[in-house]
Amino acid sequence: MDSETQNPRSGMGDFIESIRDTTVMVKLYSGAVYYGELQNIDGYMNVSLNECREIRNGKVVRNWGEAFIRGNNVSYIGAGS
Amino acid sequence: MADVEVGVATEVPEPLELVRLCVDEVVIVKLRGDRELKGRLHAYDSHLNLVLGDVEETIYIVDDEDEDVESVRTIKKQSEMLFVRGDSVVLVSPTR
Amino acid sequence: MNRLLPLELIDKCIGSKIWVITSDSREFVGTLAFFDDYVNMVLEDAVEFDYGQQIKSPKVLVNGHKICMLIPGGEGPEPIQG
Repeated sequence: MDSETQNPRSGMGDFIESIRDTTVMVKLYSGAVYYGELQNIDGYMNVSLNECREIRNGKVVRNWGEAFIRGNNVSYIGAGS
Repeated sequence: MADVEVGVATEVPEPLELVRLCVDEVVIVKLRGDRELKGRLHAYDSHLNLVLGDVEETIYIVDDEDEDVESVRTIKKQSEMLFVRGDSVVLVSPTR
Repeated sequence: MNRLLPLELIDKCIGSKIWVITSDSREFVGTLAFFDDYVNMVLEDAVEFDYGQQIKSPKVLVNGHKICMLIPGGEGPEPIQG
């Protein structure tokens, strides 16, 4: 049972822990892109961000401040850049 | 890094906590289909169904007949009270 | 009895390169770090291919909802000619 030795599920929590409070990019299925400091994520991929900026064509088009993004719209969350 | 003692209030707030803190505040809600609502958040649930009061709805209509010049028209509507089904919500943000 | 379950196949990919194709025509290539039961995945040194555009990220958490195909060891889509 070597698949037990590397429980991928617990790793997910560690990952979220490691990117919390860092600047992340949230990309939605619609193509919209948001940058902000990650407050938290939950199991639905609902995301809360601080200093959230909406980016279109490489330009900041809007400053949202704090923002909650509903998880069903989230395609992916990029971190570490 | 002064205190090593944990276990009291170290729990990080869930994303929905942000919405809870918006209750009775004026919020901007971005919806699917290039719509936006600005109003006072009276109630919400875990689906993000929302009840908003004193709402201004903005509909963005992009006219892109010419590929280069993309003009955006907006239509505004006022409502006293509105129920929003959660599945159309994209983003909720408090107004500072 | 040695037949692999689908998720066990993905489990074997942890630490190696994987090519992810989503049903909304996005593709990702990266090193698989973690995944969960919903096949949400964390890729490291990831490249997203979005209609010919390439976007790089050191770490990416991809929503499993629209993941449609996984190719272990995949190198990603062929570059678009011209």
